[in-house]
Amino acid sequence: MTLRKLGAACALGLGLIATTAFAEYPERPINMVIPYGPGGATDISARAIAEPLGHAVGKPLVMSNITGAGGATGSVAVQNAKGDGYTMLFARVGSHTVNPAMKATLPYTLDDFRFVTVYEINPVACAVRPDSGIETIEDLVALTNKEGSSYSSSGVGSMLHLAAVFVLDEFGVENPLEKATHIPQKGGGEAATAVLNGTVTFICTNTSALAGFVANGQLKPILVTTAEPVVGFDAPTAVDLGKPALTQLVGWTGIAGPDDLPDEVAAKWGAWMAEAANDPGFVDQMNALGSVIHVMSPEEANTFIQKQYETFRALVDKLGMRIEG
Amino acid sequence: MSLFDNVMAGLALVGNINAFLSLAIGIVIGVIGGAIPGISATMAVALALPFTFPMEAINGILLLLGVYKGGIFGGSIPAILIKTPGTPASSATVLDGHPMAARGEAGRALGMALWASCTADLISNLSLILFAGWLASFALSFGPPEFFALILFSLTIIAGVSGDSLLRGALSALLGLLLATIGLDLIYGTNRFTFGDPNLMGGLNFIAVLIGLFAIPEILNTVWHPTGHLGNVQKLGKNWVTFADYRRCFKTIVRGSFIGVFLGSIPGIGAAPAAFLSYSEARRKSPNKANFGKGEIEGVAASEAGNNGVAGATLIPLLALGVPGDVITAIIIGAFMVHGLQPGPMMFVMNSDIIYGLFIGLIFSSALLFVIGGLAIRGFKPVADIPRRILMPMVLVLCIYGVFAVNNNLFDVGVMFVMGWVGFVMGRCHIPAAPFLIAFILGPMLEDNFRQAMLMSGGSPVILLRGPITWFFWGVTALTVIAIARGSLDKARETG
Amino acid sequence: MNQQAIQLRLGIVAMLAAAFLIFYAIPNWVSSPSNVRNLVLSPLFWPYILSGLTGLVGLGLVIAGRRMSATTEPVNDAIEDPRAGLVRLCAMAGLMALVFWAMPRLGMVWTSMLAFAAMAFLIRTRHPVTAVVCAALTPLVLYAFFAHVAGVAIPQGILVRLP
Repeated sequence: MTLRKLGAACALGLGLIATTAFAEYPERPINMVIPYGPGGATDISARAIAEPLGHAVGKPLVMSNITGAGGATGSVAVQNAKGDGYTMLFARVGSHTVNPAMKATLPYTLDDFRFVTVYEINPVACAVRPDSGIETIEDLVALTNKEGSSYSSSGVGSMLHLAAVFVLDEFGVENPLEKATHIPQKGGGEAATAVLNGTVTFICTNTSALAGFVANGQLKPILVTTAEPVVGFDAPTAVDLGKPALTQLVGWTGIAGPDDLPDEVAAKWGAWMAEAANDPGFVDQMNALGSVIHVMSPEEANTFIQKQYETFRALVDKLGMRIEG
Repeated sequence: MSLFDNVMAGLALVGNINAFLSLAIGIVIGVIGGAIPGISATMAVALALPFTFPMEAINGILLLLGVYKGGIFGGSIPAILIKTPGTPASSATVLDGHPMAARGEAGRALGMALWASCTADLISNLSLILFAGWLASFALSFGPPEFFALILFSLTIIAGVSGDSLLRGALSALLGLLLATIGLDLIYGTNRFTFGDPNLMGGLNFIAVLIGLFAIPEILNTVWHPTGHLGNVQKLGKNWVTFADYRRCFKTIVRGSFIGVFLGSIPGIGAAPAAFLSYSEARRKSPNKANFGKGEIEGVAASEAGNNGVAGATLIPLLALGVPGDVITAIIIGAFMVHGLQPGPMMFVMNSDIIYGLFIGLIFSSALLFVIGGLAIRGFKPVADIPRRILMPMVLVLCIYGVFAVNNNLFDVGVMFVMGWVGFVMGRCHIPAAPFLIAFILGPMLEDNFRQAMLMSGGSPVILLRGPITWFFWGVTALTVIAIARGSLDKARETG
Repeated sequence: MNQQAIQLRLGIVAMLAAAFLIFYAIPNWVSSPSNVRNLVLSPLFWPYILSGLTGLVGLGLVIAGRRMSATTEPVNDAIEDPRAGLVRLCAMAGLMALVFWAMPRLGMVWTSMLAFAAMAFLIRTRHPVTAVVCAALTPLVLYAFFAHVAGVAIPQGILVRLP
């Protein structure tokens, strides 16, 4: 058996959990795949919504972390699953807009999934060390142009990687790939640590990952990419600085199924999400982490994701960042 | 507020039955989870996390810490009894623990594991309380060049676990290093030996490799020679660890605990390397050097002290800097944040009652671990009496479930089977498995940190010698290599 | 086989493996972007280093093996009937392949029951009745634990679904 077949067989295994035509969907537990490891932003968000969502669905939701390759391993498991609504995916900005935009070798495309909702938006902020002498984004741009700078990310093709390049490009750094060095780390926590210990100059990531360091005065935010200021982040917004294009740069978490998911299943998910996201406990938990709850209908979600993908893709093509190997 | 006020405020927070109950429940969950191969301490903490959301902040966090500590100890139970490390951290325990069990001294090995774990746990907690601030500032001076030097030094452990032949140990380590290159390249994101398969892009699952390398060859050996065990008594037996054993190993335990504390306070190393480093140091210093790997109780003590020494110390960067030391503390940070707490220097000012409450709870956790661990050993005792030819199929099924559960991926079960055959062939050729495992853990770290350092310096190797920390580790690496070279030359002269 | 023979064979295998990696596997199966700025940063650098070291260790094994005094002492204890042992090992390999194939189709629980029973009889257990009972119970207990306590989605086949 070839490796490809083995892989298909594995995914089939997950698919077979979800067989039999649905008399009244759902009639048994639903397997929810989280393509990132425990403790990450996606995992915490998914597990926080699992409880209210489980009540709305009326059947248990089984959370499965399938980690690896920047979210690709778990995404492929759902891509190959049967489209009966018993295997769903917590999709994330990294796995479903940045990765498809940057990686030519990715085993899936956006069209392989049907999004039923996007329920959470995380603003993005850029931060430096307070003793770095960088006070504003202009300082950073000047430094990058003059001496060069460096930034950390949670890996090639992660949102952090694209975000730093996007910000530098918007603020007029010519050829940001040459002038700013990308030093990838193993994960989001390591990426933040790399700024703290001086390995890199700056980081652009979700505010939830930075909130603790900013509150403690260990990191200084210099930019948030939303239109509105973010609580706790004393930094100008992208709109204040006259770069509204940067508002496309936000993190999000949504739920998707395989592309052959039937309409009635998608419609049911829309209704469940609307109910679950109103749960005060869930809203409080997510707000405490700096996320904005914003439930989109399946159509809105598709438009939102498509637009973000196209923005990212245009940037990647312009700078020649696409990974072909 | 004075220290006394802080301690009183902390006591007020944890001085109730709920706090202790949470801690005890956590330890029970951890020990049971750790004892089941495939449910690592990481997974047990992740599973327990959602249940702590409705609890009070301090109780929830104590429960998770209990799971962590219990899990690291619990892993040693199957490592000793059925040669299957319950968590990666207990893989060093297999080296001497299982031979002891095969000799009919499982009870003594388990007892020593418990005593060493609790002692190390206590030392680790006390270090956290006393040195948190100092060690935390040290942790941030570790950038890629320092990590590179530290990991290079850690690779010299391989010489300590190679057994008779250093060359075969090196071969085993190289095999581990080569297999660890499978997956996506860190710096460029390109494919290495993935053949376009999404399952391989994430690299080989570490637990699948670990269980494949240790547990499956045991099964295959039984298949090859089903009656080979007859005549060897494998019973828990009457012999329990004695105080004399403990006193003999005390120095090793303390040394192992401090190795654990040191490595634990540096983010990104983890408990498994600490256990191996402690083991190889113990072997180097021990008068019974030759007996290591053949069932030396000091080896069990060293590994368990090393891995439990990490458990308290990983909280140092967590509490003092808000930086998670390993995956488990990354999950625990989630629990802090859900309760609206921001770990970091400000927490010592704003939530000092919680910090001191945690400290007090942690001190008691060592004692609770001792009691609960002792009960667990008795609970798992019957495993040693199961006839081998019933036990082995049982281990097979357990491994299948456990390895699947780690990443919900059937592909990992396939990886485990294949690694099982690799391990079996290595065993037949007398190639030790431990160097493979150490290399598999440390190899990617060595490569990644090297390349990160090169990125920082723009390709100049001078950065690898940029400060006193790197000089120190390069120095000790050089000394160790010289010592190993002299040792093997002497040996070659003796035999040749 | 004695120690010396094993040592020599290991050395030769290691050198062959290194040659295969350097001349075939790495150029074909490791991809590197065209715009690598520095040789040491290339994704190929580390695999080449490791392969080279493997070759050196192989050479070392051969040299050390040649210097060893030849003994006739076998490396592993002989077993009564090596041929039957080999047949059992092949059967076990087949069983593992079958388990891997059957898990997504039959479900993990039923497959493990069959695997347990098959293996117990392969190694000629002295307690056949106990083995059958354990074969039926162990997977069920593990299923109950993993699916209902740990919340893991254990693969269920197309045949009979467990609650």
